Amino acid sequence: MSLNSSAARTNDSLVDRDRQLRRSNRTTALRRLAGNGFLYFIMVVLALIFMIPLLWMFTTSLKTRQEIFVWPPTWLPNTPQWGNYVEAFDKYPLARFMFNSAVLVMINSLGEVLSVPLIAFAFARLRFPGRKILFILMLSTMMIPGQIKLIPLFSMFSRLGMIGTYWPLVLPSFFGNPFFIFLMVQYMRTIPRDLDEAARIDGASTWVILYRIILPLSLPAVTVMLVFTFLWTWNDFISPLIYLSDFNSYPISVGLAFFQGRYSVEWNMFMAATLISIIPVLALYFFAQRHLIGGISTLGLKG
Amino acid sequence: MWQRSRFISLVLFALILVIPVGGITLAQDVVTIEWWTVNSEEYSEEVQRALVEQFNAEHPNIHVNITVLPESGFTERMTTTLGAGSGAPDVAFFWDNNWFPQALDLTAYIEADPDINPEMYFEGFWNTRAVWQDKIVGLPLGVGANFVMYNKDVFDEMGVPYPSPDWTTDEYIATAVALTDPELRRWGGDRPRGPFRAIWRNYGAFPYSDDSTTVEGFLNSDAAVAAYTWLWDLVASGATPTPADIEILGTEGTGPIDLFLAGRLAMATLNQGHVLTAVESGVNFGIVPEPQIPGNERYVNAWSLTASVWAGTAHPDEAYEWLSYWVGPEGQQFLMENGQFFPSLPTVLETHPDADEDYVQAFFQVLEHRQVAEWVNAHPCNSTVLRAAVDAWDLINLGEIERDEVEATLDSLVEPAQAALDECVGRLGG
Repeated sequence: MSLNSSAARTNDSLVDRDRQLRRSNRTTALRRLAGNGFLYFIMVVLALIFMIPLLWMFTTSLKTRQEIFVWPPTWLPNTPQWGNYVEAFDKYPLARFMFNSAVLVMINSLGEVLSVPLIAFAFARLRFPGRKILFILMLSTMMIPGQIKLIPLFSMFSRLGMIGTYWPLVLPSFFGNPFFIFLMVQYMRTIPRDLDEAARIDGASTWVILYRIILPLSLPAVTVMLVFTFLWTWNDFISPLIYLSDFNSYPISVGLAFFQGRYSVEWNMFMAATLISIIPVLALYFFAQRHLIGGISTLGLKG
Repeated sequence: MWQRSRFISLVLFALILVIPVGGITLAQDVVTIEWWTVNSEEYSEEVQRALVEQFNAEHPNIHVNITVLPESGFTERMTTTLGAGSGAPDVAFFWDNNWFPQALDLTAYIEADPDINPEMYFEGFWNTRAVWQDKIVGLPLGVGANFVMYNKDVFDEMGVPYPSPDWTTDEYIATAVALTDPELRRWGGDRPRGPFRAIWRNYGAFPYSDDSTTVEGFLNSDAAVAAYTWLWDLVASGATPTPADIEILGTEGTGPIDLFLAGRLAMATLNQGHVLTAVESGVNFGIVPEPQIPGNERYVNAWSLTASVWAGTAHPDEAYEWLSYWVGPEGQQFLMENGQFFPSLPTVLETHPDADEDYVQAFFQVLEHRQVAEWVNAHPCNSTVLRAAVDAWDLINLGEIERDEVEATLDSLVEPAQAALDECVGRLGG
């Protein structure tokens, strides 16, 4: 009896402990759920705050000019002016401008992909006389403000007969961008040299090591480089403005500036055109965000 | 290996296809003139392209190649190309006085041209925008001027009579106060953009002597004190947006047109470029000159754009041919008939399609006043002295001094302004 009662007590205590454990698990799960819920709530609120400018752009693009600055401000237009989008596209060849931007992005991306890993690999892996000096020299070009280079570069491209063409906008990318080269060098230095040596023992040439081993391992850095190339090329205003002459060859960054007149800005149409123009940028971010965030955190570009 | 070679060949081929290289090849006897312009409310890209087509058709030996640039980037491009000394256009706007040294002296061309003479143009614009250091550096294209646009619906709503063209600065403040409605966040009128413009000149105020030697008795003259005190009264009335309001709500420094269109500014100092916008937006508006001081000469803040031939052009004769067409009677007539453009030629301006409209008549009257720019362009140190004396403007606009401190503030600025004038005259001349 005593044994039975003792066994029963033990059983009861086990059941109790199991209940307590389950309760504790449930409480933990509930707490975690509540914690996650709160976190999601905060993130949604923050996301909404960050979305306000975009939302404002969208609603402004649907307003009449008089509605934009009324008091008190209105979020929604009285009657959505969808025609603003049609008018914006009728007024200027925005599709053409965006196509031109896309062409520039593609060529520049190609140029950077062809040149940057090659140069970075040489700095990161090969030993040759003057390597450090050349690297410092290359880095020092990053310190020169773009405005200072504007006139000498224009003069150079002018002598080469390249003004009015896309050459000044794409040619430099085929010779490497110092910022990307620096990033890539830093990244390649984190890849163990053992891999190169193992490949070399297996008979791989320097080219094979670069293109079969180092480059595939540098994908996060390449992604960051491509995304930055896209953004910088897409948003670049001053270079196309300085070098291009044919209206139909302008990229979207220059095209949008036509909405600003001498005396005023057509805000509603400007917003409509801008909203359309940022769709490719947003799409790129959505598709590349996983690689981009990974790459940025690996390269220490945060903050 | 073969695949890699094929890939590289494909890339190179794609590049050759995608990147346009080279320009237009024309027969050897046709001279190509590069013309840079902007599109604006006054002349759109299409209209200017049509003008070029017309010219090209009439001049088989000249081909004008138009480059339309955005207004916001024209200065950067011109500065870059003029700085590089190559690649500048044969003909373009030279709207920055710093570019004048690189403009071709047109004196000989104009003397030999039976179709162009200085008397054809408004005298004030010719003097301020075509002549520089006794040389003719360009021709003045179009006219622009500041005036006060007022929203008739707001006046009607508040039961305030419309302003008359001969209104005074005191009436301006009184009218602005009567139209202000804080609940609607509506201001009666706006503030001047800077000192020593039309209203200061109407008071008879100048920042320094005409011979560029003396600030004392000018910057702090009775007229200047009266003008600054008027500004103080306007600011204190609460009937105008603050500089911060204008900066945030205005449009890229081009004037508070958006506030005016939204009905939040009953009176605004705008220009002819805003008129069409107001017409298209259906605003019921009127135009009057900036307020005057009875008995004093009346001024207007007016401008024109200098169109010039680049001194480095390889084809000065053909470039002048195009310039004189574009800025001559034919070109300005074309632009006027096809856009919201007011020519700098009185005989052409008289035939404006909307000449019978009230606002065009009012604009014509504004142009009859003497120009602020005449004195400013003849005195290169004007902006330097105004910068040295900017405290008075800032302190009043920020409401940081009392009314009876205006004179003392101006007195205190005489010394730094004199030093700035002396330094500037030594550098740029009087």
